[in-house]
Parts: sequence; structure tokens; C-alpha cells
Amino acid sequence: MFSKALSCELLWDAAVSGVVVGRQRWILSTMQKYGPELVTMLWRILGNEQDVCDAYQDTFLQLAHFEGGRKPDHVKAYVFRTANNIAVSMLRRRMAERNRLSGPIARTEATASPAIEVDSEYLQEALRRRIAKLPEHLRNVLALRDLAELSYAQVGRILGISPGTARVYRCKAIQLLAMWMSKEE
Amino acid sequence: MAITRADNQCRRLRTWLYTAMTRHWGAEAGWLQSHISSCPRCQRRLVSLGKVNLALSLMKARPHSLSLLMRANEQAIGVLKHGLRAEPQAARLKTTLPEPKLVERCGRYGHSVGHLAACVTVLLLMKIGVFSSMDTFQTEGQEIMRQYYARQVGQDLAEDVFPAQTKQSSSGNPRGVANV
Repeated sequence: MFSKALSCELLWDAAVSGVVVGRQRWILSTMQKYGPELVTMLWRILGNEQDVCDAYQDTFLQLAHFEGGRKPDHVKAYVFRTANNIAVSMLRRRMAERNRLSGPIARTEATASPAIEVDSEYLQEALRRRIAKLPEHLRNVLALRDLAELSYAQVGRILGISPGTARVYRCKAIQLLAMWMSKEE
Repeated sequence: MAITRADNQCRRLRTWLYTAMTRHWGAEAGWLQSHISSCPRCQRRLVSLGKVNLALSLMKARPHSLSLLMRANEQAIGVLKHGLRAEPQAARLKTTLPEPKLVERCGRYGHSVGHLAACVTVLLLMKIGVFSSMDTFQTEGQEIMRQYYARQVGQDLAEDVFPAQTKQSSSGNPRGVANV
């Protein structure tokens, strides 16, 4: 009697997991379809391979748990926006940690030297710091347009704005970044 | 028909407006260049804009390692449900390498395709007789010119100027052009 109950339970578990797998197979398809673009975008935002892997993992984990495993209506938009937000959060955490570890004197010394200013690593890090400070609507457009290299039409569709608005936001983002770059000098 | 004409006019006007505005208000405009060369504030702004663009280009130009996609997929699949991890598609994703897009892959064949298209166009033009029609057109044009010269300055001079046509027309006039 006990063994019969056990076998029934096992069968039920197998059937349920089979249904769940069948229902969530689209996650793997999404990974196959948008994975390369996502990795490129995350790499450009973060510039560190381990951070890219972590952000990518978090993105798909959130996707798998979206409203109890339901497929979002616009998967591409969800995936790109989630990845972008996760990457920026990681960037901010990294910046805060760096600020905490290095004193204010060390920071002023790093920006004072003109030789460091033309260094590509320094430039990229400086831009990343400022991108993390941008308002969300401008940052999203900049990340999707310049770092993920999507067209304005695609950016508009993902963010729910018109391509013209996306162009304006991108222009504002660049102007703001340029202003911040010149202020720090 | 009227709509098409209006469209063409619109297009011409747009092009003309764009050219005129670029000439007077674009980055290459003389007054703007002379202002920038003497205004330190604009120079500072342009330098910082250039710096942002340079940093963005550097970010785009820096490549990641080839196995990054593979590792990211592996890590992400590791936290999915057991059933999904055991799927054959998951196993394929764990060994996937980034591939160039179809447009990038076909880009190197662009020149060859262009040459082939040009050859096909020439063959098509030969097939439909455009070249022979052009030849006929040229021959008849020269014949008319010869007749005009013959009428205006005399037959001898016309024969000197167009000797080939004269020989042809004396041997026979297949196109039926009247000799003067």
C-alpha cells in the first residue's frame, strides 16, 4: 500500500515537472535568441567578465520567476531592461565600494594628471561612472542605442516611446555626460 | 500622377532645404568654424563632447573573450529548474560561441555581388537590344550631320569631314536616309 502511494507520488512529481519544463522552454529559446546581444551590452556597461556572467544569470533568474513563471508579453523588452537595470545597480555598488576603499586624496590625484585623462581605461571608467548617475530614462536610451547597438525604432519599442523621443533622450544624455566630464576637469 | 509629381517636388525641396541648412548651419559652416576657433567656452564643450564619443567608441571597440557567452549561458542555466537544465537545447547553449550576424558575414561578398549584378545588367541590355539601338541612333545622327554640312558648306567639304559615312552611303543606304 505504502509502495503504491510512493510510486503514485513519484509519477505525479514527474508529470508536474514535465509540464513546468514544457511551459518554461521559451527561456532557453530567449537565451539563444538574445544571449549574444545581451552579453555584448553587459560587457560594455560593466567591463568585467565575472560581473557580466553574474548580471546575465540574475536577468534570466528574474525572467524565470516573472509572475510565477509566466512569459512576459514583450520578452525582448523585459530582458534588455532587466539586464540594463541589474548592470547599473552592480556598477553603482562597485563605485560605492571603490569610494569607500580609496580615500578622497587618492581620487583627486587620479583626476589631476593629464596623462591619465587620455588613458583609455580611465576614460571608459569615467564614462561608466557618469552613465550610472544619469536619470533612468536617459540612461536606458543610451545603453540600448550605443552599448547594445539597437536601432532607434527598436529602442522606442522596448521603452515604449517613439523613435523621435529616443533620439532626443540620447542627445540629452550625451550633452549631460559631456557637461559632467568637463566639470570634473 | 499628380501625387507622384507632388512627391517628387517635396523630395527635391527637402533635399534642397537640407543642403542649404547644412551649408549655412552645419558643422562645416565658415562662421561657425571661425567662432569656435576664437571661443574658449565652445572649444571646451566640443572637447568634452569629443571625449564622450571617444570613450563610447573605446567601450565598443574593446572585445570580450570568445568563451564569455558560453560561460554566461552555463552560469545562467545552472540556476534554472532541473528539467530545463537537462534539455538538449541547454547543452547546446553551454557550448555556443558568438557568431557574426548574417549581414556581417555577407558583407565580404558585397563587391563580388556588385560586379555580378553589373555583368547581368550589361548582358540584359545587350539582350534587349539597347546597345544596337544606340549604335543605330549614333549612325543616323552622324548621317544627318553629314547631310546638314553638305547642304550648308558643300558636298566636298562634307565628304572630308565625314569620310566613313560618305563611303557607307555611297556603298548603299540601308536605313533609307535621303542623300542630298
